[in-house]
Amino acid sequence: MANFVVTLYCKKTLLLLKCSLAKKEGGKHMPDFKNRRQPDDSRADFMEEICHNTWEAVYRFIYYKVQNREEAEDITQETYMKAISYLQRGRVHPDKYIGFLKTVALNVLRDRWRTKKRRGTTVDIDSFPVAEAPGPDLAEQSTERIFIEAGLQQLTKEQQTVIQLRIIKGHSVADTARIMNKTEVTIRVMQHRALKALADILKNNQ
Amino acid sequence: MKHNEQKLSEYIDRLNAEQKPLEDEYSTDSEELKELFQTVKKVRSLREPAMPDADFKKKLAHAIKKQADKPRAKQRKWAWISSIAALAAIFALIVNFLLPSGSSHLVLAMENAYQEVKAYHGMLEIVETNAAGKSVTQAKLEVWADKQGHYYVKNIAGPNQGMVTVNNGEKKWQIQHDQKQLQLFSAFPDAYRFVFELGNEIKEVKQAISTKVMGDSQIAGRAAVMIEVTPNGGSPYRIWVDKQTNLPLQKQTAMQNAIQYKVTYTQLDVSEGIPKQMLAYKVPEGYRVIDTNPEQFVNDLNEAAQAVGFYPKTAEKLPNGLVQDKLAIVPKQNLVKIYYQTQDPIKQLIVVQGKSTGEFTPVPTSILGKVGDRTAEIQSPIFEETGILSGGGLYAGMTPVSSIRWQQDGFEYAVAGSVSLEELVSFTKEFTGGSFELPAGDESTMEPQVKVQYDLAVEANDQKSVDAGNSPWKLDAVFTAQVFVSLQISPQGITGDYPISQKELKLVQNDGTSAIVEVNSNKTAIKQVYLKRIIRQDSTGIWTVVGYNLEK
Repeated sequence: MANFVVTLYCKKTLLLLKCSLAKKEGGKHMPDFKNRRQPDDSRADFMEEICHNTWEAVYRFIYYKVQNREEAEDITQETYMKAISYLQRGRVHPDKYIGFLKTVALNVLRDRWRTKKRRGTTVDIDSFPVAEAPGPDLAEQSTERIFIEAGLQQLTKEQQTVIQLRIIKGHSVADTARIMNKTEVTIRVMQHRALKALADILKNNQ
Repeated sequence: MKHNEQKLSEYIDRLNAEQKPLEDEYSTDSEELKELFQTVKKVRSLREPAMPDADFKKKLAHAIKKQADKPRAKQRKWAWISSIAALAAIFALIVNFLLPSGSSHLVLAMENAYQEVKAYHGMLEIVETNAAGKSVTQAKLEVWADKQGHYYVKNIAGPNQGMVTVNNGEKKWQIQHDQKQLQLFSAFPDAYRFVFELGNEIKEVKQAISTKVMGDSQIAGRAAVMIEVTPNGGSPYRIWVDKQTNLPLQKQTAMQNAIQYKVTYTQLDVSEGIPKQMLAYKVPEGYRVIDTNPEQFVNDLNEAAQAVGFYPKTAEKLPNGLVQDKLAIVPKQNLVKIYYQTQDPIKQLIVVQGKSTGEFTPVPTSILGKVGDRTAEIQSPIFEETGILSGGGLYAGMTPVSSIRWQQDGFEYAVAGSVSLEELVSFTKEFTGGSFELPAGDESTMEPQVKVQYDLAVEANDQKSVDAGNSPWKLDAVFTAQVFVSLQISPQGITGDYPISQKELKLVQNDGTSAIVEVNSNKTAIKQVYLKRIIRQDSTGIWTVVGYNLEK
């Protein structure tokens, strides 16, 4: 029953968010490479302007996938380098710059995953949620967020605390052990069990 | 389980530090960890992203501007690191070719001159030129190197400005001032040293198919002779030799994909040695130390046995010229490492051993030999670190290090060395009591039911493209088979994942020039794919599908 309620709530939120996002993207001014008004604009200045207007959305999209700054910065840079020639040819409509850059970013990510996959490990690229698809995906991310928060609520208080301290707040094992008055070994065991329990909950709620 | 708890904790720590995890859901072998890593990411997605420093936006805009300014037809991937990697990859292509060269007097003069050198100090400049003739300086390095394999490299200019990399024979470390951290690596095998290392350069020229004197010119104010070198693999390149010292001053690669690299010693002086303070290990105050090589040296095999819980296997007899050097353990993985030294300090060999923890899966790019009735993985040079090799520090890519890895009686062994494959084989034979065998190269097994036609000109072009760093999967027999079978299923092209996964493919035979990949999938009637290295018969040669067998 609880799952059913969450699902209904999520679908409604998804629609609302999609509408608000559509408005937001439509309202943003993007430079148009194909129809430059000043012919003496250099390509470089134009690209710089596109970068200025889009980089944050692209970076956030990539960060959502990799969850660390180091990789997000690398992939953001690689994404723009790959996208430059297409953008310069004016083949992408200014309204679609962000969507296009997200698609390129996703391809860069997929290339990296495939490379790792080649190294003899098993990777299920499809295990990534639909939210991976480029475009205005914040709505899907928010749906996922609701599922995760609901899943966390189903853990024991101690499990919630250990996840809160270690992952949400980013404390070290030593600091978490001090705050929770446990040994470091216990914290490692607890976080392992808590994440396993959360993974099971999220799997069952899918 | 304990191991997974530790790995999970390390994964969380890396993400908390906003760093790329050493192992993630795409590289782990453990299904449990894969799920847990994904769950950690999901939980972390509840946080606001850590935004980059203010500098990042500026750097990104600068890089984009620079790239956009280039003439359109010559555009290519920018990142400095990949440029250097590509340069090094081109260099790597010409390593390991062992044909005698009929060297000219100049090559001999270079060899003789280098024999007199104990150490050298130089300023290296790396320049990228596009087909329109526009040149961009990628990096400037200060280099100190000696003939014991020690070196000190400082990035004077370029995106990694200030970064220092040192190998003093005991340790290798890299100081990254921008991140206030020092990374420790294994001193040997040293996967990536620096470009245009004089000893290597002269060796490569000596091993080339041919050399031709092209004329005289001035390099960095010095009179030099230009030689065109045709390596046994890869495109011809040019090297300039100082007329006075007979040492190489400059190297220029062929123009590939409208890009050419030139590496020049704008200053080069020989010296008695590297100043001691350059090779002294010291952590700058306030810097974090990241130890990627957590090995501990022990005094003897008994001490090692006590630490890891088994008595390490050793070779009963060592090949001539090889002596046992250091002995170390890796406590986290219960591994033992035995180091061996030859008379040439650059040529080293290492045996890594530990209890086997899973099924033995050779990397797809390897040649398959035998130890008794077990498969042995041979990589020459090492392309991918896997199994117990992954515990030994950096091995991957761009390295003249070869390895042989196998499992036997519940243990996994790997022999790796910066020696020739023949020397490595000779040692492995001694180590295994004669039971190691190289693949026989039996052509009679290469008779497919259905022959696949190929166009030599197309293959030769594909090889050139791969030499230039494109489509590296063609160097991997399993990947090539995967693409071939997938295209038989979806002739209109592959979108998304391949219809045949890597899990459904198994490399069953590979002698380095011909290979058979077994297909185990109900999506296709193809059961075996036959491949050959048509254009070049070494690790840099692409694989071509020559036939297949269908389900009976």
